[in-house]
Amino acid sequence: MPVLAVNHLAKNYGSVRALDGLDIIVEAGQVFGLLGPNGSGKTTLLGIVLDVIRPTSGSFRWFDEAEGVNVRQRIGALLETPNFYPYLNAEQNLSIVATIKGVAQPPLQSLLELVQLHERRHSPYRTYSLGMKQRLALASCLVGDPDVLILDEPTNGLDPEGMIEVRHIIKKIAAQGKTIILASHILDEVEKICSHVAIIKNGRRLAAGAVGSILNSEPTVEAGAADLEKLFQLLSSHDMVRKLQRQGGRLSMELSPGRQAAELNRLAFEQGIVLDHLVVKPRSLEVEFLEITRK
Amino acid sequence: MKPVQLLSIEWKKFFPNSTFRVMAALYAGSFTLLLLLARLVGTNMNFTANGRSYNPTADFFIYPKNWAFLAWLGSWPNMALLGFLGVFMITLEFNHKTLRQSVIFGLGRRDVVLAKLGWVTALALAATAFYLVLGLGGAVLGGSGLGVPPLTCVSGFFLQALGYLLLGTLAGLLIRQTALATLSYLAYVMFLETVARWIFYFAVARTQLLGFLPEQVLSGLTPLPLPDAVGSLGGGSLLPLSVWQVSVAALLYAALFAGIFRNRILHSDL
Repeated sequence: MPVLAVNHLAKNYGSVRALDGLDIIVEAGQVFGLLGPNGSGKTTLLGIVLDVIRPTSGSFRWFDEAEGVNVRQRIGALLETPNFYPYLNAEQNLSIVATIKGVAQPPLQSLLELVQLHERRHSPYRTYSLGMKQRLALASCLVGDPDVLILDEPTNGLDPEGMIEVRHIIKKIAAQGKTIILASHILDEVEKICSHVAIIKNGRRLAAGAVGSILNSEPTVEAGAADLEKLFQLLSSHDMVRKLQRQGGRLSMELSPGRQAAELNRLAFEQGIVLDHLVVKPRSLEVEFLEITRK
Repeated sequence: MKPVQLLSIEWKKFFPNSTFRVMAALYAGSFTLLLLLARLVGTNMNFTANGRSYNPTADFFIYPKNWAFLAWLGSWPNMALLGFLGVFMITLEFNHKTLRQSVIFGLGRRDVVLAKLGWVTALALAATAFYLVLGLGGAVLGGSGLGVPPLTCVSGFFLQALGYLLLGTLAGLLIRQTALATLSYLAYVMFLETVARWIFYFAVARTQLLGFLPEQVLSGLTPLPLPDAVGSLGGGSLLPLSVWQVSVAALLYAALFAGIFRNRILHSDL
């Protein structure tokens, strides 16, 4: 049963089409990443499924329930920046969240300890650093022990230490078997946290699936030889090589799954070509992402 | 969600807020001060109208007119402070994006509407309760005849408080910036409608319908209780409206303001 099924969702802001017929399915237990450049429609999508933005057309369903059924209390969400009453402290703000979620005895102390805000629980929210605000937002998402967490750019504006802390908390939550939907434009973050990913650009879904299958991190190989043209002819017709292209005075390529650079070297040597350059370069996620978004 | 839970959320949001507390204290303080000033000045003042001499103390501080006079005194803090409170409470939510956040946390849009309308109704009831306490206290202190407050005075005061709160809330919802919404609200209730009404009255048509404009109706709910011989000066109407006319009109305006509020919250992006 899908936790969230988004069906052909569209949203226009005047003449700007923020979402353009988007379809996404998130299954229970997935850590689902929404990956896309700034302005791709990630936050608009989350705003619609959280009911703060009205869609122009299309529909969505939570937990396969009919529209109108109140399922929102099973969802904890952080959308864009954390928003709390600045004159209230952490406990008072979380108490409001608990009342909204219908939780009579919320474990506020343990939540504040989890996000390391226990010592500052009586300080007004306005006195918090950005990292503390973000951690309080994470705590608010956990009030009522929701089945699904939605996190929109949860490490935005944090220093490296804060980023690591927040990622650590998210991983701890994911380990409890909760479904997490994480929107981010940081590839590294998605790769480190998510099990599945959908890549969005200009409000359209470009790709979706398991992280390993979408964001291919197979290394690229650079090769060079005195007779580059002969090497090119050899490799262009061989199934060991994919995405062969000339780059300056060398050839760049990906190897088919399971093939090694040593085999390439042997193949060239057997054909009378001596390689004078052979480098295996880890393929960056950025390159893969750019390839997908430029299609 | 149960109405009690919705009111509890609003209470948790606003009671600790310093501006809310200051405005509540200002409301109570200014209302009380106006009553004390009126007594102080009124006992030493006589005025003449239509060839007759009147003592304001005699006219304004004796049952049942003391209740109508007190309601008229309260109409000033109602207009200025409750209206501002209406603006402030909704713009605070937009300034800090907390209304949107409440929906993100799981509060339904219908619950948002019910919570806000329930909260302003509760505040209007609280203001009316203060009016009753002040009236009973004032009557006891003044020794000028304690009696059951007339229903028209109490209902008129409540409707007026509710109307100004709703009008302020609506201004805040439509404009969303505290300073601009407050200025717009105050400008409208203090002079814009009056100026527009007079211009229309003299330049276009001398119609009694002008008496049904929102500020005319709200201020007309608690008219200055001058003796009948003085004529109709109450509420500043061009033409007098009956108690029932202003009451029904005020109810319709309250429903209209609440309806616009509901429609905006339910159907627009937050």
